[in-house]
Amino acid sequence: MLDLHRLTKSFGKGDSAVTALHEVSFSIAEGEFFTLLGPSGCGKTTLLRLIAGFEPPSGGALVLDGRDIAHVPPNQRPVNTVFQNYALFPHMTVAENVGFALGAQGRPRAEIAATVERMLALVKLSHLAGRKSAALSGGQQQRVALARALAARPRILLLDEPLSALDMKLRKEMQVELKRLQQETGLTFIFVTHDQEEALTMSDRIAVMAGGRIQQIASPRDLYDQPANRFVAGFIGETNFLPAHCTAGRLTLPQAAAPLPVPHADGPVTVMIRPEHVALGQARPDALVLTAQVDRLVYFGTDTHVHLHLSDGSPLVARVQNALRGGQPCAAGQTIPVSLPGEALRLLPCDEAA
Amino acid sequence: MDAETLAARADARRRWGLAAPAVAIITLFSILPLGVVLVYSFLAPGDFGNVRWQLSFEGWFSVLFERDIFDDTISLSDAHLTILGRSVALSLATTLITLVLGLPTAWFIATRPLHQRAFWLFLITIPFWTNLLVRTIAVQEMIRSEGVFNRLFLWLGLIDAPIQMMFTNFAVLVGMAYVFLPLMVLPVYSAIEKFDFRLAEAGYDLYASRAYCLRRVILPMVRPGIIAGSILVFVPSLGAYVTPRIMGGGKSMMLGNLIEMQFGQGRNWPLGAALSLTLTALVLAALIWYTRLTSGGRRNG
Repeated sequence: MLDLHRLTKSFGKGDSAVTALHEVSFSIAEGEFFTLLGPSGCGKTTLLRLIAGFEPPSGGALVLDGRDIAHVPPNQRPVNTVFQNYALFPHMTVAENVGFALGAQGRPRAEIAATVERMLALVKLSHLAGRKSAALSGGQQQRVALARALAARPRILLLDEPLSALDMKLRKEMQVELKRLQQETGLTFIFVTHDQEEALTMSDRIAVMAGGRIQQIASPRDLYDQPANRFVAGFIGETNFLPAHCTAGRLTLPQAAAPLPVPHADGPVTVMIRPEHVALGQARPDALVLTAQVDRLVYFGTDTHVHLHLSDGSPLVARVQNALRGGQPCAAGQTIPVSLPGEALRLLPCDEAA
Repeated sequence: MDAETLAARADARRRWGLAAPAVAIITLFSILPLGVVLVYSFLAPGDFGNVRWQLSFEGWFSVLFERDIFDDTISLSDAHLTILGRSVALSLATTLITLVLGLPTAWFIATRPLHQRAFWLFLITIPFWTNLLVRTIAVQEMIRSEGVFNRLFLWLGLIDAPIQMMFTNFAVLVGMAYVFLPLMVLPVYSAIEKFDFRLAEAGYDLYASRAYCLRRVILPMVRPGIIAGSILVFVPSLGAYVTPRIMGGGKSMMLGNLIEMQFGQGRNWPLGAALSLTLTALVLAALIWYTRLTSGGRRNG
């Protein structure tokens, strides 16, 4: 339904121009919960403002339902935004805020009242309809902002880091709430966040952005298990990187006892492995087997993080699930064998900087 | 009596001590003179100005009425009513003109980058450096019969004879709007500056046209600034003296000029005092309306 085709945005002119978005292209399907994830300054908010219509793109096309809307003003796009600071109108009541879009469209009074009632019920705030929006708590303001943006039934709802101002507990609640709203309304959501956990738990698909470019678009599971590059691997979850080399279909790690056969082109590579896949204590077949010294153990309740270093000093972290009985998996100072199972290894091109 | 009460009393005494100079000045130079004016308004006029100490309601009576010199029939005083009406009308018109001109100006300044705003505000304050008289005469130079505009229009062939602009209500209006414009711009600017432009963006996102956004989002939020500016312009306009004197001459008199006349060549101090108090009452009414508006605004939003 929404297609971005080589969408580009630069600010400034001539030599001082800064390119915030480099030819971004992707498609979003009807009813999808799509997340733009990236560190601050990666261009995700700029992209959202382009979709909302607050900024015109410098190049490329933005096609909604077959129509290029790149230069359509925001008040004529069937796209509404939940702003980071909510941007509720402080001089209006909750009901007036929620009914604003319908009022601006000149809908009849009775229809507005009915929609407002339905929207407030949807976000469970019917009892606060007459309250001034400034007199609400952060979580309540958040719900009003949602109801206000949903009231006119947009084709796409844009959410600009809507949960970042809430405390931890409320944020978890709102994550569930948002997902429920999205499923109940069947609307397409484009959600912007820098919080990887938020992105992983809520999204159907995630676009990871850095430096104004899309790094990878994939489902949360694929993003975690099959990162396209070192940036994505490092940004999502914790991970280990080890420099290695491929020769004649065999992966050689300088610290490993023997090479491992892999289907990969020859040349230098970066080996990536998640801490939970590092096996301690025994040498396994079909794995790179290394010797490592234990530096320290950090207890995390469900699991223990074991910080190790290899013979050449490069660090390695293993995550071991805590058993009900059995105590610690190893002790600091010990030298133990470590296996990196072949199926858990990801080989990334190593030419790029992290 | 416990220590706490004693301490509270000492504290109250200290506060009164601090307020004393202000209270003394207000009493001496504001309340006392106002009392004198109030007393004078109920006395009879002296032969050469001043007052005779004799109770009389003639001053108050003459504010709105006049007695026929021959048969003593009472009728409404046309001259006074015209001047009163003109004062209120011109002051309202001045307020409206300064608002129409001042709002976009204030908007322009408030939307400049932060480091440029000081410069534009500085330009707004420059007229305050010049004497009111000089500024008013400068406006006169623009619109008088041999002034800049008339000469320009004649040269362009738009008119055959100079347009009479001086000594009309229009001249007074131009003069007052020019003089009081900064008083509108500054409070409106400070209100717009506090306005969160993301709210306008939100309105625009929610299908509002520019006009709808202005009416429903921006104006309600800068309303306190508009009301403050209107009062700052309306109140001194009502009592304006120099501008109507120069721009309106004897033809377009305002309340301030009428009062001055009673204390000067009119030699009717009680009438002047009564007119002064009428003016004060008008100002007070405007201020009460203002407080109602703003406090009501706070209650509702």
